[in-house]
Amino acid sequence: MPKPKVGIFSLTCCEGCQLEILNCEDELLDILGAIDLVSFGMAQSNNLDIDLDIAFVEGTVVQRSEVAILKKIRDRSKLLVAIGACATNGGVAAIDYDKDREELKRIVYGEAGDFIPSITPAALHEHVKVDFALQGCPIEKHQFINAIGYLLHGDLPLLPEYPVCTECKRKENECVLVQHNIPCMGPITSAGCDARCPSHYLGCDGCFGPVDEANVAMEYSIMKEKGMADDEISRMMQVFAAKSPIIKGQFKGD
Amino acid sequence: MKIVKLPKNKTNDFIEHLQSFGEVHAPQKKGKKSCAFQPVTDPSKVLIGEEGFLRTILPLKKYFHKPVDTLLKFSPKTGFEDAYEEEGNKVIFGVHSCDIHAILSLDRVFSGKYVDTYYFRRRKKVAIIGISCVPDDLCYCQSMGTSFVEEGFDLFLSDVGDGYLVKVGTSLGDDMVSSAGDMMTGYGDSDINEYKRRINEFPSLFKTKVDEADLPAILDMEYKSEIWEEMGNRCFNCGICSMVCPTCFCFDVNDEVCLDGETGERKRCWDSCLFKSHAMVAGGHNFRESRADRFKHRFLHKHQAFMGDFGRPSCVGCGRCTQDCPADIHFVGMVKRIKDDITCVHSGEEEK
Repeated sequence: MPKPKVGIFSLTCCEGCQLEILNCEDELLDILGAIDLVSFGMAQSNNLDIDLDIAFVEGTVVQRSEVAILKKIRDRSKLLVAIGACATNGGVAAIDYDKDREELKRIVYGEAGDFIPSITPAALHEHVKVDFALQGCPIEKHQFINAIGYLLHGDLPLLPEYPVCTECKRKENECVLVQHNIPCMGPITSAGCDARCPSHYLGCDGCFGPVDEANVAMEYSIMKEKGMADDEISRMMQVFAAKSPIIKGQFKGD
Repeated sequence: MKIVKLPKNKTNDFIEHLQSFGEVHAPQKKGKKSCAFQPVTDPSKVLIGEEGFLRTILPLKKYFHKPVDTLLKFSPKTGFEDAYEEEGNKVIFGVHSCDIHAILSLDRVFSGKYVDTYYFRRRKKVAIIGISCVPDDLCYCQSMGTSFVEEGFDLFLSDVGDGYLVKVGTSLGDDMVSSAGDMMTGYGDSDINEYKRRINEFPSLFKTKVDEADLPAILDMEYKSEIWEEMGNRCFNCGICSMVCPTCFCFDVNDEVCLDGETGERKRCWDSCLFKSHAMVAGGHNFRESRADRFKHRFLHKHQAFMGDFGRPSCVGCGRCTQDCPADIHFVGMVKRIKDDITCVHSGEEEK
């Protein structure tokens, strides 16, 4: 059986997810042995624009040209996988997606901003069909490697459908929220990171995006009880996931 | 039953002595404010009865029913092989009565029609040394009938002030005290009097009490109560209560495939009936679609369904779920509301 043709692409973002793939140092040779990596901007030249079995795409769509790039990738790929918070839920670039772009450009770039073709920031699913997403800011490399294994076997990967709290307690961590009153998004955030932040006494900041059926209202009232102001909670919940269907519309007038 | 006395100034020596029967694990500080069963390297670090360190974060199930356990490795060329790596004997010191009852509960569950070898091959390697305790505000083992234990321990230590009266529960326990030499002493009248005084005083120390009598029937009547919707709105379905519960045993089994797309591992990990995926079947149908349904299911299983299967509720009153719930759900309060408060709970159906 020929090796599946795979491309790794980047839209507007910090490119940390591509970097995390390169960070799979011990497994890189096995990965390259298992797939035919025809496009990977950060790691190789001579990238080919050919039909793909799997496309991994990171980043937020913030320019008109990126819509066209994304649609072309979609058209020539059997599977399109969103990787990271930006591609999945809009990420940092989409925090203020409801604000007037022209005004934002003037504030940030002054007159030079007139020439930037900025459009309303969007997660990939707002422009094309996304087959599944690997979450996180950045993605977790074990999930990436796992996903490749599942795909080579002909399955979609099994990803946790429960919140960070479960992973946190499986590690027998002390609860930062209950025991230490540290604001934590663990109860409403998808697991997959092995409770990376709470394991170090930092509240989860929700980079894996809201878990299915996240109880946002309850999280909001618990954060209020912990002494956070309304706008702080609103920012906390939107940093990584403003365009997630669960968060979108909860804080802005759309 | 053989009973001897362990003077408190010999406790550390005895813990050291137990190392000859297996790796000793006991409650020790974990994190900044909590404790957990961990291997003992220095007996003076073992926490027995220190204020604020009453309950470990995870109960004993973590030893026999691991949070994540690799069951087998598979390959198309060689078939599958057991992934179990032989573990040495362990002695778990400082287990409270409620947690011993919880293990007995898990033993019943995993020894049903299909005996769970993954559980019992670890379980049989573990000796249990129980110890008496003083309840805090969240303890309600007295109400659940688990504040006293007759079986399930190799030794059980009851505090009598200057020492512990040590009840010997098994022949292994007998070996432990017989080989302890002059660490163990006889006990006298004053020890018997103090033991009885504490036993008699014990029930009055509980601030949290709940009457479970007739609860299964009342839960049936309140199956359509508005309380479930209210709790469904509050609950995160985060799974913490299930993870920390000493009697929650549900697990999920998944295969992880390696980069060759062929070989891999089968793993099982702790699951919770509060997760949407728990009752999801092929085609996307879900037997417990809403958060309220799932909350109710967990509660009913603890206090009603388990009663039908095993003759007692599976809750042992340890208080972990209430202590750790990020949504501040008070599980004893729930029982009280359903049981007693006729003003705020009703069936949701019109009276005929």
